[in-house]
Amino acid sequence: MSALPKGFAALEPFVGVWNAPDLAARAVLRDDSSEAGRLAFHAAMQPLVVPALDRLDGKQLDALDVAERRLFELLLAYPHVAMAVEVQGDAEAKHAASRRHMRITPPA
Amino acid sequence: MQDDDILDMLSVEEAADRFGRGPLSAAPYHDPDWWEREREAVFLRSWIHIGHVCEVPEPGSFVRREIEFARASLLIMRGRDGQVRAFHNACRHRGSRLVDEMSGRRSKLSCRYHMWTYGSDGALLSAPDFERFEVPREGCALKPVATEVVAGMIFVNFAHEPEQTAREFFGPIAAAMERLPVARATCFTEWTYEIGANWKTNFDNFQENYHLRFIHPRTGEQALGPENPFGYPTHYGFLGPHRGQKLWKNPDPPPVAGSLKLGYARVGELARREGLDFPKTDFKLFPCFHMVGLPPYQNYTHTMYPLGPDRTRGQVRMYWTAPPEDAAAAFTREFAAVTIRDVLSEDREAVEASQQGMAVIDHIHFQDHEVLLRHLYLEVEKRVRVHVATRTLAEAAA
Repeated sequence: MSALPKGFAALEPFVGVWNAPDLAARAVLRDDSSEAGRLAFHAAMQPLVVPALDRLDGKQLDALDVAERRLFELLLAYPHVAMAVEVQGDAEAKHAASRRHMRITPPA
Repeated sequence: MQDDDILDMLSVEEAADRFGRGPLSAAPYHDPDWWEREREAVFLRSWIHIGHVCEVPEPGSFVRREIEFARASLLIMRGRDGQVRAFHNACRHRGSRLVDEMSGRRSKLSCRYHMWTYGSDGALLSAPDFERFEVPREGCALKPVATEVVAGMIFVNFAHEPEQTAREFFGPIAAAMERLPVARATCFTEWTYEIGANWKTNFDNFQENYHLRFIHPRTGEQALGPENPFGYPTHYGFLGPHRGQKLWKNPDPPPVAGSLKLGYARVGELARREGLDFPKTDFKLFPCFHMVGLPPYQNYTHTMYPLGPDRTRGQVRMYWTAPPEDAAAAFTREFAAVTIRDVLSEDREAVEASQQGMAVIDHIHFQDHEVLLRHLYLEVEKRVRVHVATRTLAEAAA
């Protein structure tokens, strides 16, 4: 049985790796990730961002089923990885050290 | 109303002519004695941003804030009458800390030591065996701190009787802030940091673009171009102790990274859906508060709380009018938060390094495009000098 909605099988290897419940936890995933891990997720997720948004479009967040929730969390991990890969590039490791000082307040 | 209509906008030459050129003493950036005078003259007498009404949504809701520069623990609480008030977190009996939790909701606050009990308006409701005290109950309410809400944000002033209301202090900037998402926010994204730097050293970083090309070669490249290689603003604006700038619009910016386009693809639609309509805003409010509006959807504040002469805590908040309704809203907000946090992270190391040499350089040098830094410096210095002179006169008269 697929862990994700139909059409997103290419993201299956990243379920449980890039899923996290909130911004702070997703930032930690980025900080702790390897370059190879980021590149692999970025390559798989990039072409599926718009389809994922379309798939989830119009649904209230609390109405997402389990598979959709997984897809949603992968979608929200993407901005972190995109900034690392597309903007920071080879400065990502150094940047991560500075970023760790910016402590995200977890949701209440 | 745009920033241009509110601030007295000057060209860089006009601004430098008005506020001066040449070196300034570095002491205010590191000297402990100066800091103590600054604490008294500026921070204990100015309106300081300490929260938002969405943190105390219902009667009895409270948050606790530790305000190091005032050596105070404050309770910010919404009363049964709906009013938001701030009190010292100290029982009037013998000063016990009243509340340990950082936030919560209670109809009454009781001191665990001797069970003095206060209402959400701070009034003393009961105290065991109170008739044995020779003091009226009215004189035992929680000690209040002047509090005012502007654009949904809670400001406090530690002066016994502030010279101006917060709204008067901000002038027309208050109305401009009322147009921003913060004014009707119900939630926010927040991150905080501590930095080994004077609060002005830290704030100064966000008042000049001179450093952009060196510290933000990747995240700042959109703001730089061949005709303006430093990305200098076109104008600098002033309103009393507050200031701002008009950014240069790059006519030929480099292409935006593909995914950033994705991140912002739906901002227009989301802004329309949430009824947002605000102009680009960049106010640096005295003493330590930065308000930024990035239309059509983003609005963040950056407050720099001094912890001592060479230490500061920063708090950044991105305000949202409602929790994200759907994936598009959540995705856009995540992208916005990640982007801004990435940029601000880059500044930290440079600012901290800058502080490390302050004590040995004697003087600092501001170029003309660092006029906002000079303006802050002069506004602080003016208050410190008046405060010291007033105190000296009072001591002489005593």
